[in-house]
Order: sequence, then structure tokens, then C-alpha cells
Amino acid sequence: MHLSLLCRTELGMKTREIIDVAMKAGEILILSGAEVYRVEDTLARIFKSYDVEAECFVLLSGIFITAKGEDDEVISVVKRIKGHINDLQKIEKVNSFSRSLMVKAVSYEEAMEILNAIESTPRYRFSTRLAASGVAAFVYSLLFKSSVKEAVAALLISLMVFTVKENISRVGFFQFFEYFVSGMISGAMSIFAVKLFPEMNLYKIIIGSIMILVPGVAMTNGIKDALYGDTVSSIYRLAEAVFIAVAVASGVGIMLSIGIRWV
Amino acid sequence: MKEILLAFFGSLSLAITFNVGRNRFVWAGLSGAVGWIAYSWLYEITGQVIVSTFVGAVCVGLYSEIAARCLKCPATVFSISGIFPLVPGIGAYQTVEYIVGNELAQSASKGIETLASAGCIALGIMLMSAVFRVMKNVKKGRKTP
Repeated sequence: MHLSLLCRTELGMKTREIIDVAMKAGEILILSGAEVYRVEDTLARIFKSYDVEAECFVLLSGIFITAKGEDDEVISVVKRIKGHINDLQKIEKVNSFSRSLMVKAVSYEEAMEILNAIESTPRYRFSTRLAASGVAAFVYSLLFKSSVKEAVAALLISLMVFTVKENISRVGFFQFFEYFVSGMISGAMSIFAVKLFPEMNLYKIIIGSIMILVPGVAMTNGIKDALYGDTVSSIYRLAEAVFIAVAVASGVGIMLSIGIRWV
Repeated sequence: MKEILLAFFGSLSLAITFNVGRNRFVWAGLSGAVGWIAYSWLYEITGQVIVSTFVGAVCVGLYSEIAARCLKCPATVFSISGIFPLVPGIGAYQTVEYIVGNELAQSASKGIETLASAGCIALGIMLMSAVFRVMKNVKKGRKTP
């Protein structure tokens, strides 16, 4: 403890700056879809390595930090955070950053530089992710005992769905709309495919092509949060999963009810 | 064998969507294959979805914790991609689909099955991480009595 205190005065970091570093790390973690307990652990680790007395409260929609400053003055910072996607690489990097702080604390500028670099970690190229979503649809169709022909149809439809979904999310509509439109495309194209090749099973094509949309991981994470005791965040995630399922299913359902009239 | 390969590629492609690092995504794919082997083997013997899913999740958890210690990165990287073949995403979709089609009884049973298997997966993963945490604490306690 004495050692790290010495270290902090040597680095000349103000409490406000340490809160900034922690806040940034927490924000990256939540935006990348980390569990709440992991975010709280990481923040506690950062404050411990700079030897600051602090209390953090983390929700999926915001972070609250209160810390005791140099001359016993109390500083509170609240940050609102919107939206989150799964980005495991960023979680991994922030995790190793916070662990390296435990070994050797770095100055404010250096820490912010590292965190900014983590924040701008590139995702895979669009074409790679497109191919990955196609492969996922193909593979899971086969796992659900579809024929190869149906799996290929699911692959093509899922490529289309992924492209449209990515474009909508770049424009920045709300999430429900994104999944609703994706579901509609999947339903419409599956009907089209069955009309071209009547021997294929409509239901199996739909299942395969929406595989990349359905909220299985979100739901499991929600229950995981509940088991760790973060009930509020757990309900947040479960509600999100339910809304995604409703959006996709109503999109598909609307197209099916229209399509069946036409047939 | 064919199914194991499929599960491997399924998890691999999901790992790319979840932006797992280049040097790790093969291991993330392997995690999916491990979970699927356990799941399908037990499902063939017992025919019970929930129990098989739980055992599959325990195997994914075990694999992820070991891989996390060998490759020095958090276990979630492997467990999130690994549970993807097991998670009941399609079940969640079907629950709503039955509601849309006004088949409420079927929707309820599907919904409960979905929640139960999601709960099983979460429990299985956390069980393994708890076991590993306890083991670590015991080791630490021995070193500094």
C-alpha cells in the first residue's frame, strides 16, 4: 500500500484523472457486452492499483463512481451508456490492461492512450463477417437436420439479411426496427425460395436464416447476471432478448401471412 | 463426426462475428465442438434436452477455463462462442412464433423449455468458473498461511 501511494504521487495523478481512466475502461467493457460483475471487478482493480478509495455502481445503461479525492473531498461522476454489442477482443484487452496496472501503474496520458487504442480496435472486414454469417446459417441449418439444398438457401438469405441489418445499424435506427426488417426479409425470401423449389421446407429455411439474429446468447447472459446477483442488469438483458425475439418473429410472421394469401 | 465438424465451424464463424482475436478464434471454435460432442452424446443416451444441455455447458465451461489459463485471456472469450450451438435462440423465436399463430399452450411449453435451457447453460458455465475460483483460492491460502 505504501509503495503504490508513493507511485501515485510520483506519477502526479489527480483523483479526477484516475476516475476518468476507470470510467473509460468501464465504458468500453459495457459497450462490448461484458458482464456487470466483470466491469465492477475491473473498476475496483484500477482504483486499487492507484490506491484510491472509491465506490462504483454499474448498470448496463450507466456507470456511477464516487471517489475520495486528495484532501478528503468527494468526487462523483455519472456516465450514461447507450447500446452494446458483442466484442470479445476489446473485453480481453481491457482485462489485460487492468491486470498490467496492478503490476505497474502508468501515467494518465499513457493510460488514456492505451484505452483509446483499445476503443478503436478494428472489427473484421465486412466481407469476412458477411462470410461468417453465411457459414453460420449453413452450418446450423445442417445441424437442425435440413437438407443441403435448404442449407444453401438459408446461407444466401442470411447473406442478404446481414447486409441489410449492417446498413440499417450504420444509419442508426433503433434496434427493434433493425431486427423487424431483418425478419421480414428472411420471411419474404424464404417464401420466394420455396416458390422456386417447392420440394424445400419453408420452416427449416427460415430457422436457418434467422440463426444470426436470435437472442440466445443475450438470454443466457441475462441469466448469468442474475446468478451473480446483478438482478437489475439481468432483467435489462432478458427484456432485450424478449424484444429481439418479438421483433424477428413479428417480421417473419407478417411476411408469412401476406405470402400465404398470395400463394 | 460430421456434426462435430459442423459445430466447430459454427462456433468459429460466430467467433468472427463476436470479433475474437485472430490468434484465438480456432480455439473458440474448438470450444463449440467440445460442447456439442457432450450434448449430442448424452442426448442420444438419455433423450433429455435439458440435462444434455447442462452437461454440454459444463464441458464448455471446463474447456474455457483451461484454455483461458493456457492462453492468458478471460474465459468468456471461449465460453460465449462455445455455447452458441447450445443456446436456445431458435426456441425464443418459436415461442413468439406460436403466440403469433395463436397456439398459446405450445408457446408456453416452448417458452419454459427455452428459459430452462438458458438457465442450465448459465449455471453450467458458472459452476465451472466457481470451481476454478475456489481452487485458486485454496492454492493461494496454502502458499501464504
